[in-house]
Amino acid sequence: MKYATFVPEAMVVAGAVALVLIGRFRPAQRRRLRARLPAGAAVVLLVAFGVELYAGANVGSYFGGGLVQDRLALFAKAAGLLAAAVAIAVADWPSEESPALALAMTLLAVFGLMVTASAGDVVGVWAGLELAGAAGVGMLAVRRPDLGLRLLVLGGAASAMTLLGLAYVYATAGTADLLGIRQVLIGAAPTLPLALPVLLLLGALAFRAALTPAQVAAGPMLPPASPLSSGLVVGLVAAAALVATVKVAAALSPVSGVYSPYLEVVAALAMVGGGAAALGVRTPRARIAFLAAGQAGWVLAGVATHYRGGIGSAVFLLGSFAIAAMAGPAVMGATGLAEAALAGMGTLRPHRAAALALALLSLAGAPPLAGFFGEFAVGSALAQSGHFELLALGLLGTTFSVIAALGTLRVMFLQNPVDEARRGGAALPVWTRLSAAAAIALCVVIAGYGLLANPILSLATQGAEGLGLR
Amino acid sequence: MLDRLAGIVTAVSPTPLPVPGAGIFQSSYLLSISIWVPVLVAVGIALMPNPRGRYDTIIKQIAFFTNLGLMFIMFIAYNQFQAFLPNVQYEEKVTWLPSIGAVYHLGVDGPGILLLVLSGVIGIISVLASIGIRERVRSYFALLLLAQACITGAIAAHDLFVLVLFWSAATVPIALLVLGWGGPRREAAAWRLAAYWGAGSLVLVLAVMGIYVASGASSFDMDVALKSAVGPRAQVIVGAAVIIAAATRLPLFPFHGWARDLYSEAPIGVIVLVGGSATRLGAYLVLRLLVAAEPDGARLLSPLIAALAAVTVVYAAVAAMRAADLRHAGAYLALVPGGVTALGLAALTPLSITGSVLALFTGGMASALIASIFATVSDRAQTRSVALLRGIAPRMPKLAWLTVLAALGLLGVPMMASFTADLMTFFGAFKTQPVGAFAVAAGLALTAVALAVVIQRVMFGEPNPEAPAVSDASLGETWYLALLAGALLWVGLVPGGPKLPGTDTPLFDPGLLNVMVADVPEIAAPYTGAGP
Repeated sequence: MKYATFVPEAMVVAGAVALVLIGRFRPAQRRRLRARLPAGAAVVLLVAFGVELYAGANVGSYFGGGLVQDRLALFAKAAGLLAAAVAIAVADWPSEESPALALAMTLLAVFGLMVTASAGDVVGVWAGLELAGAAGVGMLAVRRPDLGLRLLVLGGAASAMTLLGLAYVYATAGTADLLGIRQVLIGAAPTLPLALPVLLLLGALAFRAALTPAQVAAGPMLPPASPLSSGLVVGLVAAAALVATVKVAAALSPVSGVYSPYLEVVAALAMVGGGAAALGVRTPRARIAFLAAGQAGWVLAGVATHYRGGIGSAVFLLGSFAIAAMAGPAVMGATGLAEAALAGMGTLRPHRAAALALALLSLAGAPPLAGFFGEFAVGSALAQSGHFELLALGLLGTTFSVIAALGTLRVMFLQNPVDEARRGGAALPVWTRLSAAAAIALCVVIAGYGLLANPILSLATQGAEGLGLR
Repeated sequence: MLDRLAGIVTAVSPTPLPVPGAGIFQSSYLLSISIWVPVLVAVGIALMPNPRGRYDTIIKQIAFFTNLGLMFIMFIAYNQFQAFLPNVQYEEKVTWLPSIGAVYHLGVDGPGILLLVLSGVIGIISVLASIGIRERVRSYFALLLLAQACITGAIAAHDLFVLVLFWSAATVPIALLVLGWGGPRREAAAWRLAAYWGAGSLVLVLAVMGIYVASGASSFDMDVALKSAVGPRAQVIVGAAVIIAAATRLPLFPFHGWARDLYSEAPIGVIVLVGGSATRLGAYLVLRLLVAAEPDGARLLSPLIAALAAVTVVYAAVAAMRAADLRHAGAYLALVPGGVTALGLAALTPLSITGSVLALFTGGMASALIASIFATVSDRAQTRSVALLRGIAPRMPKLAWLTVLAALGLLGVPMMASFTADLMTFFGAFKTQPVGAFAVAAGLALTAVALAVVIQRVMFGEPNPEAPAVSDASLGETWYLALLAGALLWVGLVPGGPKLPGTDTPLFDPGLLNVMVADVPEIAAPYTGAGP
């Protein structure tokens, strides 16, 4: 029973392999099978989520320290599994190509996130991150091979930077083990030769997290992609990168001077830039991507505090971020391509409209939703650590974000439905019992996150404590 | 008169006796009920099927009876409120986020109970003023109830985190109400509201974080955070932030940019809600977070508040006089009570603060009445142009009477509730803020001139044959306007307020301030010998 902790990983990998095989050997014409695949994948993820909560509570180290199960791993894995399950169930499957492959790639990305969260050394962090990134590339390439290729090239550059940075950290510390690195660096001086590769590493992670500066390069790829693949890149891959950032930053915390100022600048740019860019764009999918970038900036701001309370709050926010950013693009389906296509969604698809509204507002940080609680917790950590300027910039970004989210809500709820012919090829998502139930579940999760904030934040803080932070 | 008023506030508070009305309604969750019931009803309304508006009337009835029930609860709460007890009442405390020190802590003190009553009355009047809504009725009333819940939550909050939560949350439903059901320039009105209130929320969060850190960063609970010893420098910084946050909501010059567009473009139900209760939260914030909690900061910043109050009142009067749009004139005039309330808070004397607390109630009523009546007149006259509207009183006698009553209520003439509030405010303020008090009084005189000019021209001038046809207020409009005017008259004539026989909490009783300012000796001095 020692390895029962990894049952969820095994379920996710088995599910992904089965889906690839189904996609390869079962003709796509089998409609009934096609229709049941998303529900099946969602059930697998939900069961894995339940097992994770039950078995993942056992803290331990496995495979010679290569993988560790701590509270951070439990939290991040549970959040990833739940986000993927809800996003798959709520997605508009007629607007997705090759459901089997899309589902398999989503499961693979979840597995990548789980590996990153459990990684005990830098190799695991890198491998998990690349796995999640590769799943994103694969999914984008299903619809637009050119975009997939572009992301592959950009992602490859980020991967190389990550590897270079991690290699230098390994060379400096003499160990790949994250806790070992931390032990070695205690008492070390924050020198320039150490700072440069660390900045390279964190720059690559910022790209993976789709933060606003990186959005300039990665952003245009999202609107033409399929809804679920957008959610995958904006939500799961970004969450994996943020988890990696938390782990690497915790390992480097003894020399926080080499990265804190940089993280603060990137966080400020992401928070303000994300909100301002969300205000500037009209396409709902691009808007949600920028809102997510703004909230990722808040997560990074929490990490920049480099103490337990701040990183615990950042992890707490990460949970709500993963769910809203992953499910948001999925729930809007093809209507995310043009603002006008969302007109009247509140009347015609009330469940989806409510779920999308809550996801948008949560990513914007509007009260009393999940994102607000997370941002407030990070804000209190910033205040405690004296980062009032970062807090003010974050609040400015949040103000922009809320106004941007209101713009989309206005179209959804206050404009009359347009003729289908005028939707510009962006048909409203289909209504199914599964998607309606998932939309309601998404509403409950986002609205209920605040009610259950105490146990969730406690778990997140224990996660930060498990990283050896004070 | 001055001696009598001074006597009221210098009298030692009596030992609290069991209130005869107490025990009629017992609930440990009274405040939670008043916050979360409207939220649940709003969600229910939003999910209710309403094909082709078939159940529009039922939805309106649900909203009305929900508010009626809440108003009943709030009146009972008011009557059972023990004015002279030295603690907050109807307290609820549940651990929420212990790792950052946030607690779901609700409770009301004197000004809080007064604002709750105001919120209850305004809630029901805003529903009555919205009866004419025909489009997307379900969404409208769901958002209206959510906005009311946010306002009640901000009043009842006794934890800074809960306060920020409800204070900020109110922006979303109100902005959506303006966007969806406003006039031709609704987009500008809604975005301005979102920007100003969003900026106010931003500054409030900074102030709250400042208080949190200055008090040891252990708790957002007001019982802890506001009672910790904070240095004068921190008090001034936090106080300035509180003033800015409050000024965006009350609003005070120069943070009033949203008010003209909102009052002139929003549907009348929303005008009543915003003018009546949402804006009063600004003054309540200054009272709670600055005057009662940061005495050094309040003392140092009081000239700034007085200056903002004076500029606001003078600016509002001049702008109303120059306005070519009747609804704009109403919007500017609705700023005046906020300035008077702020003056009372700036003066920092027991008499002026008691006046300000009463002005929270009377100012809300007067602002809502003046803005909504000018909006109704312009609707009924089919034009907003002051140049076109002349001599319409004979064709709309009910509205003409109500407009005159609104003007009297705004100016604080005897027999109107605002008279008592203004009198206490000015008598208290002349002691410590003579320049500010004089300037606000001059502004009120200008307001009287502005009102006389507008009313004379629009109501009693030579009729304009080219003006569109005019009709008098409908029964529904008469009801909600008369309720607002009636509340001002009732409290003016019977200052004891709407109390059950035998209970002892008149609206302007200085004992209502006991809890809030108990830690500020110079304000609380008359009560030091009070009850247990």
